[in-house]
Amino acid sequence: MTRAEIRAAVLAMLLWAVATVGVGWRTLHSIDHADRSREALFRAHASQGRVPSPAFPENLDAREHAALRQEERPLVVHDPHGVEIITAPVKDTEDWEIIGAVGLYSRWRERAAPVAAPAMVALLAALVLLLGARSVASAGPRAAGVGALALFGAAAAVTALQLRFAAVSLAPREAAPASLERLALPPPSLAFAALVLALLAVAGALAVAAVHWHARQAGRRARVRETIGAWLFIAPSLGHLLLFTIAPVAFLFWISVHNWDLLASDHPFVGLAHFREIAADPLFWRALRNGLVYALYVPVTMVAALAAALVLDQPLRGIKVLRVVVFLPYVASTVAIALVWQWLLHRDFGLLNAALTALHLPRVDWLGNPATALPALMLVSAWGQLGYMMVVYLAGLQAIPAALLEAARLDGADAWQRFRLVVWPMLRPVSTYLLLTGIIWSFHGFTLVYVMTEGGPSHATDVLVYRIYQTAWEFRRFDVAAAMSVVLCLLLLVLTALQWRTVKGEPADA
Amino acid sequence: MAELRLSHLSKVFAGGVVGVDDVSLAVGEGAFTALVGPSGCGKTTILRLVAGLEEPTDGSVHIGPRDVTWLPPRERDVAMVFQNYALYPHLTVRENIGFPLRVRKIAAPEVARRVRKAAELLEIDALLERKPAQLSGGQRQRAALARAIVREPALFLFDEPLSNLDAQVRAQTRAELVALHRRLGATMLYVTHDQVEAMTMAQSVAVMAKGRVLQEGAPMTLYREPASLAVARFIGSPSINTVTGRTTGTRFEGALSCDARVAAHAEAVLAVRPEHLVLGPAIDASPAIITLVEPLGPESLVRLRLRSGEDLVARVAGEAPWHVGDDVGVRVVPGEGLCFRASDGARLSARRDAP
Repeated sequence: MTRAEIRAAVLAMLLWAVATVGVGWRTLHSIDHADRSREALFRAHASQGRVPSPAFPENLDAREHAALRQEERPLVVHDPHGVEIITAPVKDTEDWEIIGAVGLYSRWRERAAPVAAPAMVALLAALVLLLGARSVASAGPRAAGVGALALFGAAAAVTALQLRFAAVSLAPREAAPASLERLALPPPSLAFAALVLALLAVAGALAVAAVHWHARQAGRRARVRETIGAWLFIAPSLGHLLLFTIAPVAFLFWISVHNWDLLASDHPFVGLAHFREIAADPLFWRALRNGLVYALYVPVTMVAALAAALVLDQPLRGIKVLRVVVFLPYVASTVAIALVWQWLLHRDFGLLNAALTALHLPRVDWLGNPATALPALMLVSAWGQLGYMMVVYLAGLQAIPAALLEAARLDGADAWQRFRLVVWPMLRPVSTYLLLTGIIWSFHGFTLVYVMTEGGPSHATDVLVYRIYQTAWEFRRFDVAAAMSVVLCLLLLVLTALQWRTVKGEPADA
Repeated sequence: MAELRLSHLSKVFAGGVVGVDDVSLAVGEGAFTALVGPSGCGKTTILRLVAGLEEPTDGSVHIGPRDVTWLPPRERDVAMVFQNYALYPHLTVRENIGFPLRVRKIAAPEVARRVRKAAELLEIDALLERKPAQLSGGQRQRAALARAIVREPALFLFDEPLSNLDAQVRAQTRAELVALHRRLGATMLYVTHDQVEAMTMAQSVAVMAKGRVLQEGAPMTLYREPASLAVARFIGSPSINTVTGRTTGTRFEGALSCDARVAAHAEAVLAVRPEHLVLGPAIDASPAIITLVEPLGPESLVRLRLRSGEDLVARVAGEAPWHVGDDVGVRVVPGEGLCFRASDGARLSARRDAP
C-alpha cells in the first residue's frame, strides 16, 4: 500500500465521518426540536388554556411574537433547520388575553437544504484537502473522493427523506386547536433514526473500503477491477432478483414436496406425492393439452403479423396512422380487451352473432360451447398480439438494407423470390424470437381465461395457469398448486433454453 | 456484351430536385466508361436509371438494340456491384455467387460449374463456404464481382466499388478490374468520385456536375484539352493552376503571361498544369517566392506564391534545387497555357493554336 493509497483511504473515511456526523446531528436536532414543540402542546392541553408559562416555540423573533398576539390565528414559524411549525395562539380562561402559543403541527419546509451548514463547510474543507492530495497521487485518491462524495450525497438524501417523515408525522394537518387530543401522536422514534444512521455508517464504511480496494487494484489487475465493477453494477438488480424472484421460486420448490395445509402447524415432507397426484389428475392433462392447442395461435398470428408488416412497410400516405391502429390493441389492458370481446362474442347480443343472423346462419354460443370456446380465446389473443408482432416484424424488415433487395432485383429475383430467398431468411432470428417468446407467453396466459370463461365450459378452456390458480386459491391446495407450478416452470425452462440456443446459433450479420 | 445508349435522360425527384438533366451518353460494346464528378452530381442516379432501380422522368435507355427504359431490372440483363457489396449475409459465398443463376432456375450442375469458374477467375475458390461476415473487405469485393460476372450480363455497372477498401487493396483491385475487363471484354459503366480511379481505369471518362455531363472523352484528352474550366479543375492531381487576367488577341496578360492566340479581347482565366510551369531566374518571368517543397522521389512538387498573391504548384523532375523562401521566376511552357472565358468558364483557345 503506497502513501497515496493510505491518504486516499483516510480522506475517504474522513469525508464519510463528516457526512455522517453532519447529517446525523441534523436529524437528531430536528427530532428533538419536534419533541419539544409537542411537549408544549401537551402542556397546553393539560391546563386547558391555563398555560402556566408562555409556551412559545423557540426562535420566535419580536415581529413574529407581535403578529401572534395580534392576529389570533395560526402562524407559521420557520425553524432555521428546515422545519416549519404552525402555531396557534392560546388564550387565558376568560378567553380574553393571549398568553401563549402552541405548535399545531410541523412540516418539512420545501427547498430546505438537506444538509446542515457545518457539515457542508467540513465537506468543502475536505474537498480542498483532497484536491491538494490529488496533485501528488494518481487515480487512487480521486476514486476514493468520488466514492465518498457519492456516499455523502446518499446520506444527505436519505436523511432529508427521514426528516420529512419525522416532521410530518408530528401531527395531522387537519388538527385544530379545539381537539388537541388528536395531536398526541407517538413521537418519531429516535431509535429508528439511530438505526438508519448506523446502517448508513456501516454501508459507508463498506463502500469506502470497496472504493479503496478498487483504487488499490486499479494499476495491477484490470480484469479483477472490471469484474468487481461489473458485480457492483448488477448488484441492485441482482438483489432484487434474489429477493423477489429466486427466493420465491426456491420456496415454491420447497412447498411442492411438503404438505402445506394452511391450518396445520407442521409441514411434513411428502416427496413426490403431489406430483403423482397431478399425474393421475385428468384435469391437469386436459389443461396441459389445452395450453398446447392454445399456443397454436402464436404461429398463426405471426403469419398474419408478417403479412401486415409487409403491407405497412410500403411508403404510402397515412401509413403511420395505420401502423398505430394495428398496434393499438397491444397497448390496451387485457381485462378491457376480454370484456369487450365477451360482448362481441355474446350469444344473444354479440356483434358476431348479429352478423351471422344477418347472413341467415345459425347463432353460435362462442364462449358457451366447448367446441368453440378455446378457438374464440385464441382469436382474441391473436387480435391482441397482432400489433406487437407486426411492429417487431416491421423493425426486422426495416433493418434489411435496401441495397440487398436492389441487388436481388438486379440478380433477377421476382417479388416472391426476393421474399423467400432474402427477406424471409433475414427475418429468421425475428421469427424465432417471436415464436418462442410467444409460446412462452401463451403458457402464462391467465387473464383472458379468468375474465372470459373461468376455464369453462366443462374445462374446455382450462389452461395450466388457471388450473394452478384454482387449485391454490379456490381449493386451498397450495402444495399441489406448487407442484403444478414446478411442472410449468420446467416446461418454460426447456422453451427458454431452446430460445437461447437459437439466438446464440445466429451468425453475426455482415 | 452490348452497347449502352442513353438519350436525353432526365430524372427529377419528388420535391423538384433535379438528379439528372438531359444526359446523352454512349458506351460502346466492350468499352469501359467512367462517370466521375463530385458527390451529388447525379452519377449514381444515372447508374440506378440504367439498372432500372429508378424510373426516368424523360429520355430513354437502350442496351444493345433493346429499349429497356421501362423494363424491370431483372429483364435488363445488367449486373451491378454495389459500394457496400450487398452480399446476402445469410448465404455462403458459393450461394451468393450462385444466387442470380438459382433465381433463373438454372440446373444445379451448371450453377456449380459456373460458380467455380467465376470463383477461380477472382481467386476466391478457397472461400466459397464462408459467410460474408467472415471475409475481409477485399474478399467481399471479389465475391460481389464474382456474383456479377457469373451470369455473363450484357452490361456491368459499378457504384464506387473501391471506396470502402483501404488504399493498398484499392490500388491492387484497380489493376485487377482493368485486367478483368480486358479478359471478359464486357461493357462496363463505372461510377466514382475519384478522378484518379476514372483516369487510370477507364477508356472513356464522362465528367459530370449538377446532373449534366460536362465533357466526355479519353482520359488524356480530358486532361490536355478540357472544354471548360470545371473539367480542367476536376481532372488532374494536384489541381491545375489558375490565374485571372485578360486576353489581348495574341497574349494572355495577368499574374502570369503567355502567348495565347485568342481572337477576343476578354476577361479570362489562364489554367496551367503543374508540369507546365518552368521555374528559373526572375528575368522575363513572373516573380514568386517558394512556400513549400514536397519531394516525392522521382519528382518534386514546389508550392509558390506569386508577387501578386496567387498560390501555384509546379511539378519539377527529381529533387528541387530551391528552399522555402527562395525567390524564383515562373514561366509557362510555350503553348501549354489554357485560356477560359472568365464569365462562364468556356474554353477560349485550343492549345495547339498557340505558335
